[in-house]
Amino acid sequence: KRSPQINYQPLFLNSAYVRAALVKGSFQTIVELPKYVDLNEWLALNIFEFNSYLTQFCSTLSEFITPETCPTMNAGPGYDYLWIDNNRQPIRLPASTYIEYTLSWISSKFDDQTLFPTRQGVPFPPNFTSVVKGIYVQLFRIFAHIYHTHFDKIVHLSLEPHWNSFFCHFISFGKTYNLIDRTEMAPLASLIQNFEAQQKIKVA
Amino acid sequence: SSSPKQPPAEMFIERHPERFSQLTQEKAAATKLRIEHFFKLNVSHAIERNQRRVQTEQALAQERCSEERRNRQLMSLGRKESSFLRLRRTKLSLEDFVTVKVIGKGAFGEVRLVQKRDTGKVYAMKTLFKSEMFKKDQLAHVKAERDVLADSDSPWVVSLYYSFQDADYLYLIMEFLPGGDLMTMLIKYDVFSEDITRFYIAECVLAIEAIHKLGFIHRDIKPDNILIDKSGHIKVSDFGLSTGFHKTHDSSYYRQLLEKDRQSSGTQRNRNSTVVDAIHLTISNRQQISTWRKSRRLMAYSTVGTPDYIAPEIFVHKGYGHECDWWSLGAIMFECLVGWPPFCSETPQETYCKILNWQETLQFPEDIHLSPEAEDLIRRLLTSQDQRLGRGGADEIKAHPFFRGVDWASIRQYSAPFIPKLKSMIDTSYFPIEDLQQVPDTPSAPSSNRQTNVREDLPFIGYTFSRFDYLTRKNAI
Ligand SMILES: Nc1ncnc2c1ncn2[C@@H]1O[C@H](COP(=O)(O)OP(=O)(O)OP(=O)(O)O)[C@@H](O)[C@H]1O
Repeated sequence: KRSPQINYQPLFLNSAYVRAALVKGSFQTIVELPKYVDLNEWLALNIFEFNSYLTQFCSTLSEFITPETCPTMNAGPGYDYLWIDNNRQPIRLPASTYIEYTLSWISSKFDDQTLFPTRQGVPFPPNFTSVVKGIYVQLFRIFAHIYHTHFDKIVHLSLEPHWNSFFCHFISFGKTYNLIDRTEMAPLASLIQNFEAQQKIKVA
Repeated sequence: SSSPKQPPAEMFIERHPERFSQLTQEKAAATKLRIEHFFKLNVSHAIERNQRRVQTEQALAQERCSEERRNRQLMSLGRKESSFLRLRRTKLSLEDFVTVKVIGKGAFGEVRLVQKRDTGKVYAMKTLFKSEMFKKDQLAHVKAERDVLADSDSPWVVSLYYSFQDADYLYLIMEFLPGGDLMTMLIKYDVFSEDITRFYIAECVLAIEAIHKLGFIHRDIKPDNILIDKSGHIKVSDFGLSTGFHKTHDSSYYRQLLEKDRQSSGTQRNRNSTVVDAIHLTISNRQQISTWRKSRRLMAYSTVGTPDYIAPEIFVHKGYGHECDWWSLGAIMFECLVGWPPFCSETPQETYCKILNWQETLQFPEDIHLSPEAEDLIRRLLTSQDQRLGRGGADEIKAHPFFRGVDWASIRQYSAPFIPKLKSMIDTSYFPIEDLQQVPDTPSAPSSNRQTNVREDLPFIGYTFSRFDYLTRKNAI
């Protein structure tokens, strides 16, 4: 981690963009655990869908996330994410590689029937919540990287209403089920506060 | 190097999507659509789920049942809702199914009888070779139409349960209809009596009407697509899937073939063959017919397909409407009663010519007796677009004297003329298994150089709880 630069004003906080939204109203209706429904089943489907749609965004931006443009997986000044390699050593990877590793790591989790059972009657593992948390944090980092480094492309492509709403949904869900620590959210703290002030995300 | 490359917040960006690659722009458009769809689905799921809960709670309140029973009912609702959630993240793949037998071949792939490994449930699995479809840019179209088809729940349309894909193929998991198809039945019986013809044609009228009411034109109604269920009633398959892929619809394709034919063999051969052909087929020579039938089946397996049942207006790009399906029905009815389709010839291009000149070429063989009503109905279907019966709706056809006495409202409840005798759930005796073995295989194993990151799985079809509920009630899942 490097020391934060003082005058950094990220583009995504520009009032023209931060107010852009596809979805009006509170996300609680689609985030709340439906009555009588199994919590794990609810977590599983939602994290599954967050991953598939975030993957879609990554694929849309893939021509801009290259080792040249993003030699590290960063989320604004002061935040560099390191990959833990097979020898448990933290290593610096280009963002494209980091994201690729992350997505395939997540997809291997989804394919693991002991973690995400799809057959009828097969239960979730006892540590299921922590599995979901692990995935959630990685997805958050991808959000953070794209917000800080590629938001201009999002704007060029007029994707910011979709992207913001998708992020609000993601954060609303994470906060409701305590899937992420406050410290992990720091790179996007001001954005989240802004969305909270707009009442797009419920204040916890 | 760590300073942000983005302009500061006060700056506005002038949007220039055109500076990005075509691919990126297309992906962005697709992402927008998918995200919009995602939220719409989420909202409608929440609303519908809520309605189901309130309904159950109110029903239980009225029942004034015991606390314990109440809880049991609510828990059971919760379990059902939960397993619907589970289903929505279930990706099926080829490994989830075991092939019992290949039961059909089509232009772009095969149809197999399969069993789902974990449940043992039986399905028909249709494989479509994707590159063929991508080439024609049809996949999006297929997806959309398929979803409507899947949601229709019509008794006249083959149900589609799941679909998934790998790098090379699109797989469709449908209900298995054990009675085979009308083509196979015609090959077996040569001709049908008028009573039996009335039954099948009447059911086809209702099936085609149902498809039109869903907002579709089939365009490819033919005996191979009319399937027989376990009680002997019909269902139409393949609608929205084959339409558009088939070269049979492409008039330029026939014109090309015709050109080639003229060049290679000269005009003489062409003239002769039509004459010879006409003579062969109007004498009811069983030998000739069975030779024709053999080639008929082979034709069904080829990419060329048979144009026998296609309406003339489809060939001459001047626009067509739902009435083209009624022409096809006329051709099928002719075949049921006469033994061969009205314009059948040795080659597709001759058939094509005959259909375009139907006014001269439509002939009823003298040695085969048809009732005046039957002949009249056929003539009113095999006629120009603006004269054709059915152009003002299926009721016009239903009112024709040929159908006198047909109970349209409950024909599916009557017993069918041929009811398949089945020894087991996986009995394939109504399918031409031997013939199929002689047909060259389309590539069947997914190619080894498949890219794993292109696996953009198609979600569970329909995605609606009502469909899910319907399937669980039918024990399909
Ligand atoms: N759901 C099903 N149950 C039983 N048999 C089926 C089913 N679907 C198809 N078949 C068999 O497979 C044969 C070929 O299927 P179909 O006509 O759908 O494929 P196709 O020939 O590729 O399509 P097209 O008509 O576009 O050429 C049918 O004639 C029928 O015998």
